[in-house]
Amino acid sequence: MINVYSQLQMQAQKALGGLCLDPQNASSGPFVLGNGDFFIEIPAAYGCSFSDLTLTGANGTALPNAAELIDKGIEIGVESRMCNAIKVASYYLEAGLVRKPDLIITSNSCCDAMDTLGNLINGYQPWVDVPKFKMDAPHSFDEASYKYMGRQLRQAVAFMEDVFGKKMDWDRLREVCVLSNKQAQLLLEFQELKKAVPCPANPDFSRLGFAYDRWTGERVSPQITEWLEQLVSATEARVKAKQGIEGIDEKVRFLWQDLAGSWPPGLLWGRLQKELGAVCIMDYMSYGTLTPIELSSEEAMFTSFGKRFLLEDPMNRQALHTTDLFCDDILGIVKDFKCDAVVMPAHIAHRDTNSRLKIVRDMCRAKGIPCLVLGIDIWDKRHMTPDVAFDRMKTFFQSTGLI
Amino acid sequence: MKSGLRSEVFEKLSRIAGAISSPEVMEWKKKGGKVIGYTCSFVPEELFVAAGMLPFRIRATGSQDAGKADDYFEAANVCSLIRHTFGKILSGEYDFIDGAVIGGGCDGGRHILDNWEKSPAKIPFLERIFIPHASNELTAGYFHDQLARLKARMEEHFGIKIGDDKLRDAIRLCNEIRGLQRELYAFRISDNPPITGAETVAAIVAGSSMPKQEYRDDLKKLIGELKAVVVPEKKYTARVMIVGPGHDDASLCDIVESLGGLVVADLTCFGGKVMFGSVKEDGADPLQAIADYQVLIRPFCPKNLGAHPSINKELFAKIKEFKVGGVIGQIFLCCDTWGGEIHILGKEFRAAGVPLLRIERECTSDSTGQLQTRVQAFIETISGGAL
Repeated sequence: MINVYSQLQMQAQKALGGLCLDPQNASSGPFVLGNGDFFIEIPAAYGCSFSDLTLTGANGTALPNAAELIDKGIEIGVESRMCNAIKVASYYLEAGLVRKPDLIITSNSCCDAMDTLGNLINGYQPWVDVPKFKMDAPHSFDEASYKYMGRQLRQAVAFMEDVFGKKMDWDRLREVCVLSNKQAQLLLEFQELKKAVPCPANPDFSRLGFAYDRWTGERVSPQITEWLEQLVSATEARVKAKQGIEGIDEKVRFLWQDLAGSWPPGLLWGRLQKELGAVCIMDYMSYGTLTPIELSSEEAMFTSFGKRFLLEDPMNRQALHTTDLFCDDILGIVKDFKCDAVVMPAHIAHRDTNSRLKIVRDMCRAKGIPCLVLGIDIWDKRHMTPDVAFDRMKTFFQSTGLI
Repeated sequence: MKSGLRSEVFEKLSRIAGAISSPEVMEWKKKGGKVIGYTCSFVPEELFVAAGMLPFRIRATGSQDAGKADDYFEAANVCSLIRHTFGKILSGEYDFIDGAVIGGGCDGGRHILDNWEKSPAKIPFLERIFIPHASNELTAGYFHDQLARLKARMEEHFGIKIGDDKLRDAIRLCNEIRGLQRELYAFRISDNPPITGAETVAAIVAGSSMPKQEYRDDLKKLIGELKAVVVPEKKYTARVMIVGPGHDDASLCDIVESLGGLVVADLTCFGGKVMFGSVKEDGADPLQAIADYQVLIRPFCPKNLGAHPSINKELFAKIKEFKVGGVIGQIFLCCDTWGGEIHILGKEFRAAGVPLLRIERECTSDSTGQLQTRVQAFIETISGGAL
């Protein structure tokens, strides 16, 4: 288990970090840059690399010089209360640190700050000659919206074909989708295993696994499938043996309804586990609701791409849609994963979450679920250190009788 | 500085713009008319006019306290315009409206709907409409489909039929009003206009707060009066343009104009953006014509990916036409989209030698003193001397 985790962690962090910053890291084929999520199966099948500048900015906040990078982001003059991941990404862009892409694909998913980063990328003068494709992610999740999103993704393929003068290999795309479906299934199996009491796997597994799977552009790699299989297999063994996380006496199971902080997981979640037996069972980046990509026809395939993009991508799911969906997910997770409490980190600059706190609090109160709103900056520990967050969560667990 | 404008019709428009409800709206209601509130300038008024309703742009004018809205929207992380607008809703100031349509233009704005639904401020008809964030035929088609859905919901709820003829009539009326607003706006091209920036804001904002036909007639009358008035010679120290969100109240204009400057133009959500261009009147599908107007013709919002070139073009055209000496780039705290846009514009203004004052503030006039100091310094800079 430890080896699987270490391998997955190393590979994920290598792949997640700095792809577009490093000009030497020019993997084969053209380089496509986005301001956020794209549908990774498409560039993977097309044979080009894709990088998400928001993710690169978020990764920057985990670096030792994160505070300096955030401050440089502030200094360039975007809105002062904007998300710090976007500030760092904006700094990387405007300082000329990002490798010039061959194509830019931007969308408004999943928040205004990412939308703004899209506009900064699209308006960046040194890249004025780079072809640009813009996608519109609607704030709705119905069949018409999936089709609409699917049509735009189909147009993106046509645009790539025009720009690069090379046709999409549709058989290859289907192969990638088959692999993608397999990996999604493994992630869901792993997620299912985490419902066991005690929780068999460290919270970071699913987060890294999901991020790796969704974002690295290495979906075509059978390695990911193998590692996920190992992860599921090792976790199954622990569940059968009724073993919890190594060395942890699980007492409290909580949902962290936001992204994990960019600080090392041990600083907060690890300490909560070790000192209090409080285990983060789920966070929204780890919560998978994936349905298989439909392969029966090209239209069906792109419509299911649209659905995955709009509804099943964790960031889009929690941010683009209604508070009702957000609350239903919280209740569903609490019930299915047997959580004792909900922690709302309420990441500052996360406009959506900060527009829903009363509804979430009221709902939790009505359902008898202890709920804590932290008000933390998940990218900048100067705002609230993991130690302060630990103390507040400890007090919360104590005051609600959970420990 | 006031223009010295003495006009009954202007006083009426100013009164309507300075409050939420008005006797004009109440009179409309007394006659059995329905009022439909909406947020975001990309929600098309034409649909409500065609339904025989009074479209009322929901705003936060005059708010000094978001009140209970801060329970719903975390104050440090959500734009004050949203919080104060919702505060007005919670306080009952919008109880006179019969329904509302919330435009999904920005993250905070669209959550007004979710919070409204769960709040004690009940409203019988509450719908959302997503505003596309990219401009092309596909997105305009999607917006058309949303308008069609909204139209069907309105027809069902209110027991009405909104035919194409009514839509065309509404398009013509709204186009006529936009034309009149542009005419009013253009007075300030002159060095010595009969109307100031603050007065123009009031006259424009009133347009989304009263019966449309009455507004059209009032605007015609006001323009006639302004054409006839003999304007005493005045010397303004600086000609200023305001760019950014909101602008439903004239407090920033008042500051500029109290210091001897003149706000000659703007590109704001309640100002210059609302009167741009026209909806095609002779299209086969009037709903598509409305969708095309909002998505393809008028993409002046930084929420729109790729809107920047058109914002840039419009601003630089206005800078030239209105002889702008400096621009105030206004950002409401926590407004990510305008925060990015003002940053991009700042670089372009710098390159073009256009002075820019970038201010981050709340939508209320709480910090007027501080703002006044900064605006004064800016006006001194661009006018080349101490005031």
